[in-house]
Order: sequence, then structure tokens, then C-alpha cells
Amino acid sequence: MIMQSDPIIQINNIHKHFGSVHALRGIDLDVQRGEVIVVIGPSGSGKSTLLRCINRLEEFDQGSIVVDGIPLDSAENINAVRTEVGMVFQQFNLFPHLSVLDNVTLAQRIIRKRDKKEAHEVAMELLNKVGIPDKAECYPLQLSGGQQQRVAIARALAMNPKIMLFDEPTSALDPEMIQEVLDVMLTLAKEGMTMVVVSHEMGFARAAADRAILMDDGLIVEQAAPKVLFSQPKEERTKAFLSKVLS
Amino acid sequence: MQNNPELEKESDRENGFHKRIKDVDQWWLLVVIVVLLIILLITTKPDPYNRILKFVGDGIWVTLYTTVISFALVLVLGLFGGLGRTSNNKLIRGIASVYVEVVRGVPLLVQLIIWYFAFPAIVKDLGQAWNIQAFMTYKANPIVMAILGMTVCYAAYMSEVYRAGIESIPKGQMEAARSLGMNYFQAMGYVILPQAFRVILPPLGNEFVTLLKDSSLVSVVAVADLTRRGREFMAANFIPIQTWMMVALLYLVMTLIAARAVKWLEKHSRYER
Repeated sequence: MIMQSDPIIQINNIHKHFGSVHALRGIDLDVQRGEVIVVIGPSGSGKSTLLRCINRLEEFDQGSIVVDGIPLDSAENINAVRTEVGMVFQQFNLFPHLSVLDNVTLAQRIIRKRDKKEAHEVAMELLNKVGIPDKAECYPLQLSGGQQQRVAIARALAMNPKIMLFDEPTSALDPEMIQEVLDVMLTLAKEGMTMVVVSHEMGFARAAADRAILMDDGLIVEQAAPKVLFSQPKEERTKAFLSKVLS
Repeated sequence: MQNNPELEKESDRENGFHKRIKDVDQWWLLVVIVVLLIILLITTKPDPYNRILKFVGDGIWVTLYTTVISFALVLVLGLFGGLGRTSNNKLIRGIASVYVEVVRGVPLLVQLIIWYFAFPAIVKDLGQAWNIQAFMTYKANPIVMAILGMTVCYAAYMSEVYRAGIESIPKGQMEAARSLGMNYFQAMGYVILPQAFRVILPPLGNEFVTLLKDSSLVSVVAVADLTRRGREFMAANFIPIQTWMMVALLYLVMTLIAARAVKWLEKHSRYER
């Protein structure tokens, strides 16, 4: 599934400090168009920080990131990149004062300048896709966690992003709701969406990912196809981590 | 009994009735009592109560419109102050913080006196120094100065209310909005402020009621508000008990109604309707 070299995200030597903590210590990563990457690693290893650097929710101190040919260096470029990169958060972050439908249409209307009817159609199509068209008129707090996260995915997709970032999308969910969210993500992966997923859902990684990456202490320790990384890790650090996660 | 439809209907009706009674804010009763008391006073003892009411009547309007105009301006200026206080830009945050700290540290009465007496003097001095005729003959309008003084003072307090409201919204909301490509102002306008507004409605209403009461201070800078008209009536007739009881009751009606209105707004701005 990996295309020949046509990177849509180019990350070069990224460094990031939080006060005295050196959170990212020189990350290099190219993500190919249509590639699905799963990032794993212990908490505090910098995987979420890396993800948040890609759409510049986090500023980095050194290095460069180019997304779809646009370098992340000016305010206009950052907003341009953000409209092309959808993001799904651990805590969903739906807008609680707006109905599900308005959550999905808001950015379409003010950023993509779609009229009400068109935005509405796009929204209903996406709510169908994530399996909850009947909840369009509900408010987010009336939905279960799994439903909220699916709305959040629909909201991101409504901007027609070229890339989707997932920051531990199932970590805040009850176990019985995890699968309904993973199913939506699997569908997206099959459709050829470029995805960078921070998650410890090994089943999803095996089924959908082209590449799995283990991060530790601000560095990429090892990367390979998920089957290879999970069954024949080379690095001691990877073995130690996997023994905890897989058991 | 369960199968008796008439009985069920009866109990439904009873529930509905009780529910409706409960839905009505019981504090309205106090408003009714105070209004009835005023009516009772002016009908049973038109002299002096009806005379007082007629005399101070125009003062009620002055009090109301200086308060409402000031509050409308406070909402706008306070928003800028609150955005400034939460800004990432150090210069903007610094300016907003100095404004808030300085203004909050000076009593409103002193500020009003500065606006009405000191500010025109400064303008005249500048006019003399720069030889500008318009400045030299500048005369302050009491109502404009009173509104200005109350606005500048209360906007500082309101900045803190806005700041608390903005900071109460989880960071993820701003991040979600920005990640969809919205700029700072779009994210604020469509996502953060609508939510913050619901949070700050109770303190906002509180500020309005406090401003309504504090507006009595403008009586010292030549504004003929309710308090000043009360003083004028007392000076002419010297019946302090009746005069100030009437004035106090009139303030009470206004503040009680304002407080009920805020409560109503609060109730009708929840997320799930």
C-alpha cells in the first residue's frame, strides 16, 4: 500500500522543549500520500506532541515541517495547513453549545464558505457514514462517548482534509464503545486517507496501518510494518514496551 | 385504581399545576409585594408619597438610562479588556492588566469627580498651552461624564468577569476550533465566547444590579438622578423618613426586577433546550 516516495508530510529534525523538558529530540519522519501510520510509545514519549506539531497546535523550537508542499512558517500558511489537516482529540472537544449538525457545518460555512444547504448535505452524508444520522439534532452532551467521537471524526472530515491526525481517539472511551470508533477509522484507512494515529489499539494497527512507529523519550526508536514490529522487534526498548502492552 | 382513567387525569392535572407553580420564580412574589407597598403608600397617603413620586419621577428615568447606556458600553469595553487579559501577546496583556489594576484601585466616587471636575480642567490647561480655542471653553456635560466614569470603572471589573469566563472554557475547545482552520477571532466568536457567556451570566447580572445601585453616586456630579432628586425634595420639604423610604423602595423595585430578568435569561440559555 505504500506509494513510491511522494511524501505529503515531511518532518525534519524537530526539537521541542517544555521548560527544561526536552520533549522532542530530533524527529525525522516522512509520511507518504495515502499512508496510515500508527505511533505507539509510553506516556511522555512525545508522540502526542509530535502529532500536535504537524498542525502547529504546538510550536516547535527547531527543525521544519512541510505539509502538502506548504511549510509551517507563517500565520497564513499555518491556517492553510490546518484546513487540510483534520484532527481528532482524545477528549472529542465537540462544541457543547451547538447541535451535532451545527458542529459539523460550522467550519464548512465560515472557512470553506459553503452555503447552508450545501454544508447541511455534506454534514448529513458524513453523519450517515459514521452511523449516527438520527442524532443530528442532538446536543453533544446527550450522546455517548463513542457517538461523540464519531461526530468529531465527521466534523474533521467535513473540511475535506487530505490528512487526518488521531490523538488517542479511543483512550477516553468505555471498552464497548471503542470498536465503533475503530470501525469508522478502518473505513477511512481503506478509502486511502492519509492518517497518523497515536494509539495503542494493536488490532487496528495490524489491520489498517502500513507502518508502526515506537517513540520513546522524544526519539523514534524503531519503525516497521506493524506485523514485523510487533512480532520481531529489533530494539530492546521496543521489546520491553511491547511486552507490557501486548500482555 | 390504576385503571381508572379519570383519576389518572386528575393527578396529571394536579402535577401540571404544581409544576407550573414551581416553574414560576418565587422571588417574583417579593417584587409584587414591594410594588403593592408603593401603590398602597401613594393611594392611602398621597401627601407626601404621591408628591415624592411625582417629584423624583424624572430622576428614575435618568438613573435607568445612565445605567443601561453605561452597561451596554461596559459589555463592549469589558470584552476588549477580557480578551486583552487572556492574550498571549505580552504588550496587550500588560496594557489590559495595568488598566484593570489601576481602575480597580480607585473608588468610583473619586473617579466620577475626576471625570467631571479634573478632566475639564486638564482640557482647559491644554487648550491654554496649545492655544486651542475649543479646548479653552470646554465645558463638561454631567451626564456624558457620569456615563464615561461609570463605564471606565465598571469595564475594569467586567474585564475580570470576561477573563474568568474565557478561562473556564477547556483549552481543547480553542484547539478544536483552530485545528478546523479558524483564526483566533473566529474561534473566539463562534466557539469560546458563546460558551463563556453562559458561564458569566450570573456575575454579569450581578454587575448590572451593582451598577444600578452605584449609579446613585452620579448625584454628586450634577446629574439629576433618583438620589439627587430625593435630596432636592428633602431640602425643600424636610421629611427625610418618607422621602428616603420612597427612594429606597423605588431602587428596590428596579434591582429586584433586574435580578429576576437575569435569572430568566440564565434559565433560557442552557445547552439542551
